[in-house]
Amino acid sequence: MKNINNKVFSLKTRISILAACAFLVQLGCTDLEEEVFSEVTEASFTPSQSDIVSVMASAYTPMRYVMGWQGWFDLQEEPADMFVTPTRPNGWDDGGTYKRMHFHEWTSTQWQPRNTWINCFNGINSANRVILQIESGQLPVSDEQATAIVAEMRALRALYYSMLVDSHGNVPIIASYSDELPVQSTRTEVYNFIVSELTEVIPSLTETVDVSTYGRMTKWAAYHVLARVYLNSEVYAGTSNWDKVIDACDKIIASGAFELSDSYSDIFSTNNEGNSELVFAIPYDQIFAGQWNAHMKMLLPDHRLVFGMQAQPWGGSSCNPQFIDSYEPNDKRLSDTWLMGDQLNASDGSVVMTLVKEMPSIYDCDFTDGFRCGKYEIEPGATGGLSVDFPFLRYTDVLMMKAEALLRTNKSDEAATIVTQVRTRSFDNLADATVTGAELEGDTTVQYGTLAEDGTIADAGDQTAVPYGRFLDELGWEFAGEARRRTDMIRFGVYQTKSWYNHTPKGDYTTLFPIGLEELNTNTNLGQNPGY
Amino acid sequence: MNLAKLLPRMFLGSSRLKKRKLFSVLCLLCVQVALSQQQISGTITDDQGIPVAGASVAEKNTTNGTVSDFDGNFEITTNSSNAVLVFSYLGFKTQEIPVGSSSTINVVMQEDLEQLSEVVVIGYGTQKRADVTSSVATVKSEDFVQGNVKDAAQLIQGKVAGLSVSAPSGDPTEGTQISLRGTSSILGGTNPLVLVDGVPGSLNTVAPEDIASIDVLKDGSATAIYGTRGTNGVIIITTKKGSNDMKSTIEYNGYMSLSTIANKLDFLDANELREKFNEGYEFNGANLEDYGANTDWVDEITRNAYSQVHNLIFRGGNATSNLTASINYRDIEGTFLKSNSEKYTARVSANHAMFDNRLKANIGVILSEQTYNALGDGSSFNPYIYRQALIRNPTEPVKDEEGNWYERDVYFYDNPVAYIQETIGENKFRNSRFDFSLSYDFGDHVTMKGLYTRKGETNIRGFYQTKNHVSTTKNGQDGYASRGTDDYVGNYGQLTLDYDNSFGKHKVTGLVGYNYEDNTNQGFWATNRRFPTDGFTYNNLGSGQGLQLGEANMGSYKDSDKLIAFFARFTYNYDNRYLLMASLRREGSSRFGEDNKWGNFPGVSLGWRIDQESFADNWDWLSNLKLRTGFGVTGINAGSNYQALSGLTYGSYFLNNGQWVRELVPSRNANPDLRWEKKEEFNVGLDFGILDGRINGSVDYYNRTTKDALFNYSVPTPPYFFGTIAANVAEINNKGFEFLLNVTPVKTENFDWTANLTYSTNTNKIVSLSNDEFQLTNDFFDEGYTGEPIQISTHRVQEGQPIGNFYGLKSVDINDDGIWIIERPDGSLVPATEATTDDRQILGNGLPKSYYSWNNTVRYKNWDLMVNLRGALDYEILNFSRMFYENPTITYNTLDSAYDLVYGKTELQDVQRFVSYYVEDGDFLKIDNITLGYTLPKDAIKFAQTFRIYASGLNLATFTSYKGIDPEVNRSGLSPGNDERDKYPSTRTFTLGINFTF
Repeated sequence: MKNINNKVFSLKTRISILAACAFLVQLGCTDLEEEVFSEVTEASFTPSQSDIVSVMASAYTPMRYVMGWQGWFDLQEEPADMFVTPTRPNGWDDGGTYKRMHFHEWTSTQWQPRNTWINCFNGINSANRVILQIESGQLPVSDEQATAIVAEMRALRALYYSMLVDSHGNVPIIASYSDELPVQSTRTEVYNFIVSELTEVIPSLTETVDVSTYGRMTKWAAYHVLARVYLNSEVYAGTSNWDKVIDACDKIIASGAFELSDSYSDIFSTNNEGNSELVFAIPYDQIFAGQWNAHMKMLLPDHRLVFGMQAQPWGGSSCNPQFIDSYEPNDKRLSDTWLMGDQLNASDGSVVMTLVKEMPSIYDCDFTDGFRCGKYEIEPGATGGLSVDFPFLRYTDVLMMKAEALLRTNKSDEAATIVTQVRTRSFDNLADATVTGAELEGDTTVQYGTLAEDGTIADAGDQTAVPYGRFLDELGWEFAGEARRRTDMIRFGVYQTKSWYNHTPKGDYTTLFPIGLEELNTNTNLGQNPGY
Repeated sequence: MNLAKLLPRMFLGSSRLKKRKLFSVLCLLCVQVALSQQQISGTITDDQGIPVAGASVAEKNTTNGTVSDFDGNFEITTNSSNAVLVFSYLGFKTQEIPVGSSSTINVVMQEDLEQLSEVVVIGYGTQKRADVTSSVATVKSEDFVQGNVKDAAQLIQGKVAGLSVSAPSGDPTEGTQISLRGTSSILGGTNPLVLVDGVPGSLNTVAPEDIASIDVLKDGSATAIYGTRGTNGVIIITTKKGSNDMKSTIEYNGYMSLSTIANKLDFLDANELREKFNEGYEFNGANLEDYGANTDWVDEITRNAYSQVHNLIFRGGNATSNLTASINYRDIEGTFLKSNSEKYTARVSANHAMFDNRLKANIGVILSEQTYNALGDGSSFNPYIYRQALIRNPTEPVKDEEGNWYERDVYFYDNPVAYIQETIGENKFRNSRFDFSLSYDFGDHVTMKGLYTRKGETNIRGFYQTKNHVSTTKNGQDGYASRGTDDYVGNYGQLTLDYDNSFGKHKVTGLVGYNYEDNTNQGFWATNRRFPTDGFTYNNLGSGQGLQLGEANMGSYKDSDKLIAFFARFTYNYDNRYLLMASLRREGSSRFGEDNKWGNFPGVSLGWRIDQESFADNWDWLSNLKLRTGFGVTGINAGSNYQALSGLTYGSYFLNNGQWVRELVPSRNANPDLRWEKKEEFNVGLDFGILDGRINGSVDYYNRTTKDALFNYSVPTPPYFFGTIAANVAEINNKGFEFLLNVTPVKTENFDWTANLTYSTNTNKIVSLSNDEFQLTNDFFDEGYTGEPIQISTHRVQEGQPIGNFYGLKSVDINDDGIWIIERPDGSLVPATEATTDDRQILGNGLPKSYYSWNNTVRYKNWDLMVNLRGALDYEILNFSRMFYENPTITYNTLDSAYDLVYGKTELQDVQRFVSYYVEDGDFLKIDNITLGYTLPKDAIKFAQTFRIYASGLNLATFTSYKGIDPEVNRSGLSPGNDERDKYPSTRTFTLGINFTF
């Protein structure tokens, strides 16, 4: 037995052990610096010349939301008179989101307008960030390069604003990065901002149209955007600007950089890059940039067999029969745009299914009810992301904008010449392609009114003649499914007044979407649009 | 010497034995040779005649004392003739016996039922139960739930008031869900800190069979010493250990079990579908027509699952060293084909004492390897397969005449048997942990201890879908393979200095310490497709052509974080009547903003042992009465690394001059203000014991408020570069009561019955979601998601409301067209087709307001029987299966009930909708665990010290009005109570087991 007082270590030893431990604790770090391995932090990043394109890219990539899920396509087409997404056997009620779009009964939590807000401001903020980085010298660029990049970013910013002025109208103009919360501007101010920005930067923009400027803002793309906002200036700012539309269009026409594509369907083919019509395209790629899934929403699951796809589409949206009925008999754009009737198996030619025109009700449609948009090529092996580049601004639109401006300034025959020129490629017979000024001044040929389940008109609603309604039809046939029908219908006063399919007019206020709840929540400077 | 009798005891209370041994060694050293007047010897046994080794024998009012030896024998020489000997031992009542003239005194120690002297494991040390001033629960192995348990938490399911443990998934690789005292964080989850022998680990670090006891620190004053992760409580797992002077033993635990799906959903079978066709029903999609077969698709992909578990523990020791080594094998089958888990765990712990036991060293190693089939890419189970079995047309055959898998082109519709059989996957995990600790007793009440642990976890995953899988037959991938691996390494170090002393009636302990922890994670993964043959499966990724075609993916990552803390604790005990514990932890995490890395977490608690007061002397019926109260602050670490730093990421591609280049975009805002979520908790409790502890228990009330709770706020851009930011804004309150009652109604030589009842309540409220900087003008956000095609949120998190509120349309009736009639918040009625999102309202809450349990243990001679009942009250469940499949209009197979008249009126003709009709009452009572055991009489088998066989059933019966598979559904996160339609169904398990020691 040992004595309890028999110490193993002396006092001195023990004190030194304690001191050593205390030292170890001090040494054993109180250092809490974060070590970063697979991320880039602002602090650790110094941009080089090769990073400039990557930094600028972030201002362009948000544009790809256009044909993405609940993107610009849905925003422009779902509330209009062509596309309807009814309840089908596999669902598509989706909490009523598509019915709200069709009925114009959206709220501030509706996703399609929110996506537009988010993506456009994402692009605007990125453009501003690039400008800030150039102006503050963070990016290693020459003065010449700096001028060109700033001009391109400002033009791109104006493009985003041209979408926002159309969708939400009263949005904040953010022309630089600051610590202040953005302040709301009126729709007219936004319109004026777009016009002045584009006018100012156009001289500095490139005139080159080749692979190096493909999908980028050139001088011609800027003129195109300018023409578009002038075309709608009565809606945006209360005054028309038809002559300026013609001026801007003439600049593009005179450049000689573009011409009408001989083939209508070539414009929408998988390999449409470099098509002579494309003023500004949004490049998509199955592998690198696969956001285009609008085709998945329109095609049926069994179209996998029809096109030999590597994906099974979801089968939601189809065409309102009233619009199909409006086509002229020999217009090849009907079959170039819509998948109709028997759908044949790509491998053996057997009938996979038969699409019918009729769509009984937005509450209850079968899979095969309604014609589907087949305008954009589905190549064999296509997946959930289509490789077609979206023709956001195309030369036909330049001609048609000029024609509309002429038509509305009492030069209907000049307008008719242009429209005939555009129609020629879509008719076998020149006589069928030819239209007259008087025809273009006439009423629309779409039979408006709500539809009963048997496809007859249930309630005709407002049947007042639409001024230049026939020209609106021409826009519809030419640009069906090109994410613009809503804008055109508003300009012609149809959107706010007519009934179609299961839709009845709700009032002028629906020409603007409500500002999103989350945007109102995070920025107290914002007020809701009138009527909401 | 009666080892045969001693050893059975050891395994009923092994941790107690360990203390006993250590104590005996210490005491032996303390005994000094003294002048003798009278020599007394005797044997100390318990009431079953088993020797008690290491019991203290002291002459009252002197320093003279000794301890009993291994056989319970003692010898003491008293100093005075009228000496009184005090016999004491942990877990037994202390006895005082006057020596008188006798030279032999045999003592029978009575077990202390109240277990006031039981040792409770608290942070960085232990405390006697009597001295505990905070809310701490202890469950010993003899009270554990028996049978095929998923992890350590299921061992104590229903045993601890306020700790909810549920096993919502039947997946053998999934663990339990735990929540203690409600949901205290928005993003931080409810997972408690788990310590395995003092080092942070998980509920799976050691095998359940290897655990000696589990302590649960519940209130803030108890967990404040663990500051960082103390908010959701601390679960302290103590493994079975050897002790010095212990005879070598081998203990075996093993069982076989059979699991079946607890409850199957009633879908139309082939005959019922044909009846529907005959009645004139027409369907689209799956049930388009009769394909002539009779297939029970769920049967085709499920099985009776047989599992086996074997556990061996070797223990033994001499005077200065002891060793524990164990090996565990668990081969668990899941109820789905190919669903399994096979795991080996080995543990070795060696203790060594030197310099008269002043220096103690421990070296420990825990290693485990787990392998399971992967039906999903990287995961054990693929819920899509189960969904396909439920919704598939029962008249379709599994294979066509040519022996190919029978497939049709229907939207999201694939043969589930093919899906399983044409998928090959394996995930393999390896865990390692190396412990080294040293402690030195300086002799003058000061002990220093250092501990270092290195932890590692690696996994490697492989996954392949053959060319007969729909990924090829429908989607043209021509074989799809993926591989991935993750690697984790952690260092954990701790240095503490303990002080322990008494001055008359004053007892004081003190502790100061330092804690260091770092964690590093890294990994990579890659996929490919278009393989020349199925023969390689996932083992030859490079042979696929998908890489060249731009169809292959890959990724890798690495991140790390650090936690550093200083802490101190002080306890004071005056006359065993007034108790105080105070602690402070100062902790820093690398995850927080530059200016807010450190946080202070104080805790203080007080106790008053009323039964020790002189005025209570006459209350003979009262054996314990203690009032406790405490206050403590704990924290929650930020959920992921680098949240305070601004981040850039190379994002999606951009076409530049014919080449695709990656964009560089902001991915995170800098947030130098990011700081600790802090939870302040007040706790008051009363412990009581009456009638010699035959009835004892405790009552606790807690009120906890989480401040600065983290939430991802949407922020305007500009001025921010990125649209959301993690900010400390929200405030959440939880309060409730906890009751625990232990009763021993019968206790005789041959028959014992003890009952344990728990009841706990919780009231949760979101006090605030905004502050001056971050605002939600509408004071709510929506959570949870129904998925396609209903596509709407299920829950709303709103200021002033509890977490877990279902938010949707309230259905009250159905119209003649079979469309729901919705009651708007203003009371008006509209058909669902006209209802908008503004017509939604609160439809219930997915978190139970109270939990209860009733555990019974009955022993009759050699038989023992455990019956555990458990339940939860006052909550709702959103039955996804009914919401999706109780509808005759859908394009897939339906539940039988889809054709029932809704509200007794008409069949449903509406689209699938989230309406209150599917929000059901979740209240339930489960007969959760029944175990019947038989211990062979002591001499029945010669080589074995004990031999027990038992049969056990888990999840045996459920009494509930809930129509789904199991009312114990997911309760974590912000959308609790969603009974997802693809959930791996929970199982019912029957087990046959053996324990023996030799």
